Amino acid sequence: MERKLKIEFEESNVQDSVAYILVSEFDLKPNVLKAEISGDGSGVMILSLVGDEEKLTAAENRLREAGFVVCLTKHITRDDSLCWHCGACESICPAYCFASDKDTREIVLDSSKCIACGACVNACAVHALKLDL
Amino acid sequence: MSKTYEQINEKIRSGKAVVYTAEEVIDLVKKKGAEKAAEEVDVVTTGTFGAMCSSGAFVNFGHASPPIRMTDIRLNDVMVDGGLAAVDTYIGATATIPGEKGGYGGAHLIEDLIAHKKIHLHAWGPGTDCYVRKDIDTWISIDDINDAYIYNPRNCYQNYGVATNTSDRTIYTYMGKLLPRVKNATYSSAGQLSPLLNDPHLETIGMGTKIFLGGGEGYVTWPGTQYKTNVEEVNGVPVAGSRTLALIGDMKQMDAKFVRGLDITGYGISLAIGVGIPIPVLNKDIIQRCAISDEEIFADMVDYSQPTDRPPMARYSYSQLRSGKVEYQGKTVRTSSLSSYSGARKVASILKDWIEHKEFTLNQPVMTFPKDVKLNKLQERGC
Repeated sequence: MERKLKIEFEESNVQDSVAYILVSEFDLKPNVLKAEISGDGSGVMILSLVGDEEKLTAAENRLREAGFVVCLTKHITRDDSLCWHCGACESICPAYCFASDKDTREIVLDSSKCIACGACVNACAVHALKLDL
Repeated sequence: MSKTYEQINEKIRSGKAVVYTAEEVIDLVKKKGAEKAAEEVDVVTTGTFGAMCSSGAFVNFGHASPPIRMTDIRLNDVMVDGGLAAVDTYIGATATIPGEKGGYGGAHLIEDLIAHKKIHLHAWGPGTDCYVRKDIDTWISIDDINDAYIYNPRNCYQNYGVATNTSDRTIYTYMGKLLPRVKNATYSSAGQLSPLLNDPHLETIGMGTKIFLGGGEGYVTWPGTQYKTNVEEVNGVPVAGSRTLALIGDMKQMDAKFVRGLDITGYGISLAIGVGIPIPVLNKDIIQRCAISDEEIFADMVDYSQPTDRPPMARYSYSQLRSGKVEYQGKTVRTSSLSSYSGARKVASILKDWIEHKEFTLNQPVMTFPKDVKLNKLQERGC
């Protein structure tokens, strides 16, 4: 299964290799979707992890013990009362989250594919898309 | 076989009119042929729901006591026109809050008025012998102002170019967010549902044609601004922006679902409005033209990273564009529609419903629109 985690780190653990821990100790397959480090050494990283459910949970706990703040990532949400189904978001999303439904021709959002990049947010002229990291 | 407006209206009034949307009529004509289809169908309804900046609304606030001649007018802080009579204004769709580039603007005001929201009016005037007052600060709503009607100098663009970006950076345009190196392309026409692509030479659409506008009844008033006819045609329809319409409609009848303020990143404010135009099936040629499908309607792709001179790069059909991707020089280019196809379809089907339920009859135009128009460029000269 896949789980997307948001991992916050600080100056004290910025040098640690999270990916190495996840691969070597839990046999997980990490993919960095987003990583930001600010000037004070703190930062945030969004990882997609593929592996056994038990190992994913154990890995989360291991990272917490090592001082990282770990939580499930949020993804793009859409306020359906605002969306007018134009489709401006469709070609912007690198993860192909948006598609026009063949029958209704409305724009369908599959947020499970979302990599939380936020590229769609400013493509939406009715401010229907939000990403709170 | 031919029918008159009066015969069609008689059928509408008796509840017997047969109405198809411009989408439904495609298969019917394919199956039965134009001759048979024209006998069977009385009206074809079209629809479009996209952005058009050349939009706005006239409003009359009514006089306060003592009265004021407003010359500097703010509605929810948006600067609206102060160049009309004492308490009249025109809310231009692209009007903004002074100092701001986007966010909330004239189009949002129009949407909020239609949604019966309270609007903050703050206005100033010079103070004259007949209008002694110099300022007013109050709240209004569409229910207590005298007049509120949309007047769009340009709407219903007959086709429009496809936009892409060959430069190395993302650009933000009125055609949306365009990723670098031709990664995506955007388009805006409702294609096979679009009013002016179903009556390409305006045989039935002219001044006085009654239409669906923003959820209420409206009218075609004039050829739209930038109306032109000298555009290459394929399958009988232009392959780039061509004819346009000026439209009018009472905002008090409208539904905010079909009138939406848009805040287009990096560009500014625009208004999306649902427009539906009925096409009377006067003869088989008219229904043949209404049967045009997305496979037969084409648009040229141009490069919006060029500030001027945008030669066509490639030509695609609307069915290709709607598939989500097209090919350009061996590379996949992802596509986005900027107008709502599902919204256009709703407009066409509501208009169909009105006609079937005897709530909407057809008007014969009182004036037809020009057949041969070219556009002028703005000249820069000394005098």
